[in-house]
Formats: sequence, C-alpha cells, structure tokens
Amino acid sequence: MEIIKQFVFSFMSTIGFAVLFNSPKKSIVHAGLVGAIGWMFYYISFITMDSYVASTFFGALTVGLLGEFLARKNKKPATLYITAGIIPLVPGAGAYYTMLYLIENNFSQAATKGAETLFIAAAISMGIIISSLFSRSIKRVRQKD
Amino acid sequence: MTYLKDNEREEVKKLLVLATLAGRLMLKSGAETYRVEDTVTRICQSRKEIQYVDAFVIPTGIFISLEYKGELISYIKRVKTISINLNKIALVNEFSRNFVNSQMSIDDGIKEIKRISKINIYSNVTKALFGAIASSFFCLLFQGTKLDFISSFIVSFIVSFLINHISRLKVSFFIDKFIGSVFISILSYFLIKLGIGENLDKVIIGAIMPLVPGVAITNAIRDTMSGDFMSGLSRGMEAVFSALAIAFGVGIVLIFS
Repeated sequence: MEIIKQFVFSFMSTIGFAVLFNSPKKSIVHAGLVGAIGWMFYYISFITMDSYVASTFFGALTVGLLGEFLARKNKKPATLYITAGIIPLVPGAGAYYTMLYLIENNFSQAATKGAETLFIAAAISMGIIISSLFSRSIKRVRQKD
Repeated sequence: MTYLKDNEREEVKKLLVLATLAGRLMLKSGAETYRVEDTVTRICQSRKEIQYVDAFVIPTGIFISLEYKGELISYIKRVKTISINLNKIALVNEFSRNFVNSQMSIDDGIKEIKRISKINIYSNVTKALFGAIASSFFCLLFQGTKLDFISSFIVSFIVSFLINHISRLKVSFFIDKFIGSVFISILSYFLIKLGIGENLDKVIIGAIMPLVPGVAITNAIRDTMSGDFMSGLSRGMEAVFSALAIAFGVGIVLIFS
C-alpha cells in the first residue's frame, strides 16, 4: 500500500515539475513515469540498504537509463525525461534542514546534513553520467558494425 | 594571400550567427554544455568547406570561431538568464538535425530559430497550478499530512505568481529566490496558525521545491565530472547562491516566528 502511495506521489510531483520546466506535452507522462520508477528504485533500495547516498545513486541510474531508452525510442534528447525525472531524488529537504540547523547554531548537525546533501547531489550526477556513458558506448558499438 | 569574396564572407557570417543563435537559445533553456557545443559545431560544419570550427561554451556565454578559406571569423554572445525550457531544447535539437541533413537556406534557419524562441506552450496559470501540484505531492512524499498537502498547494500557487512578477523586473535570481522564500515561509506560518497544515517544515519543504536549484546542482557536478570545469564552477556558483538565497529567506522568517 505504502509503495503504491509513494509511486503516485512521485509520479504527480514529477509531472508538476515537467510542466514547470516546459516539457513538450507528449513527454510529460513519460517523464512522470521515469520519475516515479526512479523513486521506486530509490525507495526499495533505501529499505534494503539504509543508505541515502547509495539508494539515490541507484534511483538516478534508473532515471538515467530509462531516460536514455525513451530518448532513443522517441528520438528526443534524454534531458526531457531526466531533468524532471531526478526531481524527487533532489535533496531539497536536506538543504532545508542544513539551513535550519545553521540558524539554530547547531553547526555539527549542519555539517553532517550538509555533507549528506552534497553527496546525494553527487550521487545523482554519478547515476546520470554512468547511464549516459552506457548509451554512448552502445551507440559507438552500433556505428562500428 | 587570397581574400574572400564579399558574398562568401556574408554567407559564412550568417551561418555563424545562426549557429550562435541556436546555441544561445539552447543554453538559455538550460541545456548541458556539451550539447550546446555539439550543436554549434555541427551547424557550422554542415555548410561549405569549413576546415576548422571550435566552440567554447560556458553558462554565461558562447564563443565560436571558424576558419574559412584561410580567414578566421569569430563570434561571442553573452547569455544572461537561464530558465529551464525543455521544449525549446528539444525543438532546437530537432532543428539542428534537420538543418544539417537538408539543404535548408541559412535565412530560413534563422527565421526558424526566431520562431522557436517565441514558443510558449504553457500559460502562467497552468504553470502555477502544476507547480502547486508538484509542491504539494512533494510534501506528501516527505510524510506530510493531508492538511499539509492543502496548505503547501495554496502557498506554492500564490508564490508562483509572485515570483513570476518579480522575475519580470529582471533584478537578479538571488533577489527572486530570496523574496519567494520569504513569502513562502510567511504564508506557511500563517496557514499553520490558522489550522490549515500541521508541520511547518513539511509545508515549507514542499513549497520551496520549485525554487531549490536541484537541476543546477546536478548539472554543475555533471559538467565538472565530464571535464567542463568552467561550466561546472559557473553552474555550481549559481546553485550555491540560489540555495543561500532560499536559506536566508526561510531563515529570517523562522527566526521571528
């Protein structure tokens, strides 16, 4: 039940962001699905591994691979799906709490939360870069044939 | 030394202008650095016998130079505001593919780019509505309650309009985000005092999501990891200062509350 809820919530918020980023109308639902599936991978791996950074990485990798796949299929740039798709993974809450601890003069907590936020952002980028490397190498192999 | 004929030079210059316009439109819409560089060089190499093209793109400007029959021509274009518009990225991408693979005239190309730059698919109301949907579902994603959902929807909807108006004044992204987050926190605070919404932090986290520089952060790290250090730094600075603006905005209100 909780998983279905999470799926719907992440789907809706990705769709909202897709419109905010002026996605073409045809790609909005795709972007929403990419975001929701990416969040699902994040959610499940967080339950099993209990690590924000690692599970964010898996979530972003899923988003990236799905994005590249859809890009190939629809002949559109992968950013259409990836930019909105990673949004649920973006550490907005982490940034908020970092700042909250800073205001409360709680610097050690702020440093912990801030470092975590930064690593989560790096994990997202890693996931996306690795997935784009995949698709580029596939392209290269195909061109050689 | 042979000099170019005037009409030849005009043609090459126009091609360069077209490439720059296309690149600038992409960059303004938030495309990745490598994609812009790729598009620009491809458009330049598609016509005439241009031996050498190089493009240097950073989020705040485009520098292109090309060599045509022994003459070097270069063009610089400054880019100021970046607002994410995925539709334009897709359209310019498609345009550049069409332009390279067909015999479209350069004038037609420039017209097409100008047409694409004016396309706006969603009205401000639709955007505000979907921004509010995004915020409120985000609030739920972070274990907000139903009341939190409603209040972050209201806050985000109102603030989207406000930010739209402020950003039209073209002051600075920093001021936009600062004022936006001040209003978000004030509105959330009052809504919770009125009994709509239970957790102040959940409501604010949801409502600030459209302002949070998530895309800028990930693009910055992505650019840096793929070797575009200047772009990475530039986008990284944007991200850091956006986050600071939000932090100041929220922080000021939270101190008083």
